[in-house]
Amino acid sequence: MEQQINELRGRAAEAVDAATNLRELDDVRVKFLGKKGELTTLLRGMSKLTAEERPIVGKLVNEARAQIEQIIAEKNSKLKAAELQSKLATETIDVTLPGRRVHDGHLHPLTLTLNRVKEIFVSMGYSVEEGPEVETDYYNFEALNLPKDHPARDMQDSFYITEEILLRTQTSPVQARTMERHRDNEPIRMIAPGRVYRRDDYDASHSPMFTQVEGLVIDKGISFADLKGTLEDFSKKIFGEKTKIRLRPSFFPFTEPSAEVDVSCVMCHGEGCKVCQGTGWLEILGAGMVHPDVLKMSGYDPAEVSGFAFGMGIERIAMLTYGLDDMRLLYDNDVRFLKQF
Amino acid sequence: MQVSTKWLKDYIDIDLTSDELADKFTMAGIPVENVIHADEGLEKVVTGRIVELKAHPDSDHLQICQMDIGAENLLQVITGAPNVAEGQVVPVALVGAHLPNGQKISKGKMRGVTSNGMLCSAGELKLELEGLPIEQQTGIYILPDDTPAGLPAAQVLGLDDDILEFELTANRGDCFSVVGLVRELAVLTGKTPRYPEVSVNEDDASESAALVKIGIDAPDLCSRFSARVLTNVKLAPSPEWIVKRLEGAGMRAINNVVDVTNFVMLEFGQPLHAYDFDKVVGHELTARRAIEGEPLHTLDDTNRLAKGGELVIADAEKAAGLAGIMGGFESEITDTTTTVILEAACFNSASIRRTSRAVGIHSEASGRFERGTNINGTVNALDRVAQLLQDMGACKVCRGVVDVYPNPKAEVKIKFTSAQLNARLGTQYTDEQIVDVLEALGFEVDPINKVEELTDDVVDKFAAATKNFSKAARKIGEKSNVEGFMKNLGATFGGLFKNADKAQDAVKDSGVDEFVKNIGSAVGDMVKTVDMKISSAFEVTVPDWRNDVRLPDDLSEEVARIFGFDKIPSTLPKGNQQGHQSATQNFIDRVKNILSGLGMCEELSFAFTSEAMFDKMQIPADSKLRRAVPIMNPLTDEAPLLRTTLLASIFENAARNFSRKNEDVRLFEIAPVFVPKALPVTELPHEPQQLVGLLMGRREPKGWSQDAAQVDFYDAKGIVEELLSGLSIGKYTVEAGEHYALHPGKTAVFKKGRDILVTVGEVHPNVAEALGIRKKIYVFEAEIDTLQKFAAKKFSLETLPKYPSISRDLAILVDHDTAAGAVEKVIVANGGQFFKGVTLFDVYTGERISADKKSLAFAIEFRSNERTLKDAEADAAFQNILAAVERDFGATLRS
Repeated sequence: MEQQINELRGRAAEAVDAATNLRELDDVRVKFLGKKGELTTLLRGMSKLTAEERPIVGKLVNEARAQIEQIIAEKNSKLKAAELQSKLATETIDVTLPGRRVHDGHLHPLTLTLNRVKEIFVSMGYSVEEGPEVETDYYNFEALNLPKDHPARDMQDSFYITEEILLRTQTSPVQARTMERHRDNEPIRMIAPGRVYRRDDYDASHSPMFTQVEGLVIDKGISFADLKGTLEDFSKKIFGEKTKIRLRPSFFPFTEPSAEVDVSCVMCHGEGCKVCQGTGWLEILGAGMVHPDVLKMSGYDPAEVSGFAFGMGIERIAMLTYGLDDMRLLYDNDVRFLKQF
Repeated sequence: MQVSTKWLKDYIDIDLTSDELADKFTMAGIPVENVIHADEGLEKVVTGRIVELKAHPDSDHLQICQMDIGAENLLQVITGAPNVAEGQVVPVALVGAHLPNGQKISKGKMRGVTSNGMLCSAGELKLELEGLPIEQQTGIYILPDDTPAGLPAAQVLGLDDDILEFELTANRGDCFSVVGLVRELAVLTGKTPRYPEVSVNEDDASESAALVKIGIDAPDLCSRFSARVLTNVKLAPSPEWIVKRLEGAGMRAINNVVDVTNFVMLEFGQPLHAYDFDKVVGHELTARRAIEGEPLHTLDDTNRLAKGGELVIADAEKAAGLAGIMGGFESEITDTTTTVILEAACFNSASIRRTSRAVGIHSEASGRFERGTNINGTVNALDRVAQLLQDMGACKVCRGVVDVYPNPKAEVKIKFTSAQLNARLGTQYTDEQIVDVLEALGFEVDPINKVEELTDDVVDKFAAATKNFSKAARKIGEKSNVEGFMKNLGATFGGLFKNADKAQDAVKDSGVDEFVKNIGSAVGDMVKTVDMKISSAFEVTVPDWRNDVRLPDDLSEEVARIFGFDKIPSTLPKGNQQGHQSATQNFIDRVKNILSGLGMCEELSFAFTSEAMFDKMQIPADSKLRRAVPIMNPLTDEAPLLRTTLLASIFENAARNFSRKNEDVRLFEIAPVFVPKALPVTELPHEPQQLVGLLMGRREPKGWSQDAAQVDFYDAKGIVEELLSGLSIGKYTVEAGEHYALHPGKTAVFKKGRDILVTVGEVHPNVAEALGIRKKIYVFEAEIDTLQKFAAKKFSLETLPKYPSISRDLAILVDHDTAAGAVEKVIVANGGQFFKGVTLFDVYTGERISADKKSLAFAIEFRSNERTLKDAEADAAFQNILAAVERDFGATLRS
């Protein structure tokens, strides 16, 4: 009997080994372990055995069953793995085909630049103020100490609607409007971003409409040094920690002292390159201490408070940030351009 | 203004290069825009003597020259020029030279013979050809025989004179002169200037005043008119040094009289004019306003008619020149002139500027008057002209100056304290430093002696402070019932203070001691301030030539710019404020972020538009959108109006993109439009912020497995719906609408009550055609105000359901023209208490149903918030809905 069992176990192992797929393996299982399988048949023959032999043989049969089951299970997982492997092989796709794209939206580079400027100043405690784009001569010029026939008006050739109404040439009128809205001598910390208009030809560095940000701080004891520190801080934040600034004395009717502000070239860091025309500096700002007459006109007492103001062109900053060489790209609205930001 | 460095050097020693000089000026607020290096290209050109000249063995025109260039060995150079001879001195370009005409010189061989340079022609050195002997105009430039060999050619040719081009600011009229610039330079370099000494020898016994009559009829426009008479005038070309200086300043030499007036104008900044005495009718000159229509015949031989009101200088008969801008034709200096009236006047800046702009003449004179001249400099300038002409032997000078100066200018005096000045700058300059700078600049500085000047001010402030103190103290006294404190309040300051001290003890327990202490320190501060004011107060007298300095603030700039802005420390404003954007600004940012997230690109466009664009857009003739604000002086006639709708801009951008074959376009813009309150414009227009969006082209980007279909109405509408959802605007209605630029059957209006939230639709084919876009275009427009009004102010969370929902599909046949939206509305209205939502998931028209019908399939969701809903409840609600759509639309369930 024992010999018979061993022989059967040997055949079963051979059959399992020979099975090449799951179906054949299942046939092997049925042949040996099924209800009518050989092992079952062998078990049935046990009735002929003696009571002493029965438990011994039973144990042997059960061991054989467990062994056969185990090799079938092992073979089964091998075959399954092989089958999955071949299935996966047939499912292989070309992963180099492009992915399914969606239309991507973009904010305009000027908006992105302006947002950065706004963030910086808001974090420094500035409020963001606005005013109309069509302005009165009073707010655009006179309240800024630019009476009619002032030669400095030549710097800003204007689009006129009437003799007294024009497209604002600067965001500075928002200064005067904001000051008027405040209580006398109340501290102010504001920026005024917005579109401004000048009757300039449309070329690589001029545009009849462009974006300016005006800044104004009024309080007791505000000094030119505060202006310098503020602009230094801003320049580092927008152009990088290593940025230096340089102030050159200049003239604006609404500030005294006045300065043109240069930053160290963002391309060459002051070495001198094409962008800065070899000077190492880029002019990006006009600034100064608010002229006492301007304070007075808008209800502030220059004996009590002082202030500084600055103005910058967002186009210039955007062009430097993104390395653009032609301002017209910004207003051309070619989608191939807009999609790059 | 431009000036040669040599001219500056006439008056001051300069040991700086031209570039350093330019930088020094610029950093002191006198911007140099450009430096023209006269020797550019001549760095490697030297003088050379032709020691030996031999014919080239292999050429019939080349010659081999042995040149002495001041070096140990002779230099062999080959030339093809015929006008050379042994012994001549000529310019030699050495190897490595890069000539002004662009030519680079390298070592070379000409027909086998080495040449180590080139003999130069005038043309190659970019020299003036005029006046040269004819053979030198084409051949080699020949220098005087006695010229030493080996000198830099630039020096010998007088080309070492660099030019500084200034871009002066409007306030610094005083720097419109060589003397003005030298004055600044003296302060900046510490060198001593040598100003020209003006002295005149009146060698003609006749009195100027007896010969001419000068008058001012318009004292508001002409504040001073000074004149001199010169006799025995001998007109001739100016001496070379005058010509050179004028040319360096960009002016052309004409004749000695005119040149000297120009020279002195450049030197002192005072424009001058010379009249031919014999041509001035009545020998009288009057500054008066022109009469409208009066003929003006100016130097440039142009006849103009006066507008009226502009300032002219007239003789007894007619206007003899536009004052300060251009002289008259008839009285011009000519070869026959023997007697000259010299004019030096001071004119009103604004008036000159107006007239100059009106007639389109911007002269050296008008530029100076516009910025303001030194009213006290007229006579000095006259004297200088007389002196120079006399020195040239070109005239005699009559006795005296005719000087009409009705209201002599008062000295400008400014009081300031060094504390004030330092506070404005954030600096700590000492009194001495400040005074030194101001004095160097020509300001007279006087310390204000002790209390005298400031006492009144101080006493007033003290009185006010005391009153406040009394008031405050009385209140405290009342509260704490300290009688003794009360009684002493009317006392003098000293007494008051003493009592306050005493009171301090008395009221200690009542908590006012802090107050008293504060008062004590406040008074201390005040005393300190007064003390400082007394010790550092100054009064300055502004020099004649500085019309721009009027306030203490102006003085702070003077001090700051001379020490250098780079010396000012960097600090930040003290104190904190809360930074913020307005609600509308935040809202606009939010809309932009949502739209860019939905695949739209933000455009930014000019605010200008035109009638032609309105025509293309089919804006009806009577539409208020046609009532646009016109610009008086537009940049081009193509864009003379301010836009009333942003569609005008986005259409233009779409057309431009289409013309460039960018056919897949998704754009949006938020910007103000301009709505006039009245036309013609009398007050500022409204500037409402508008939003527009535009879609055209493929629904999905082109790709191997992408939807190749083009966008349609529902894509545009979907973007609008997503936007509204992003803004938490719900419960709106959508209905078919009308829009001038849109397809009449493909326009929808999103509404909230009567307010239009958004209009969306397909662009009318005629509009698309007019724009040159052969494609379907979809647009939407909205007013930011309205969107903001309905956008949820607060976030409200919809809680997640606890119980499952039951869904029922409703597929019905309705008439073809039944609006799905209407059906949906009825479904919502009849959904019952468990109704939670409806989604239209299929629309079908086609052969499987009759042509006048369409099939709509809705998924309807029911749910209870309290318990699991029973099927029977959902069925009942569903039946209710079915009955309603059957009733309202004659709908039948689709089998």
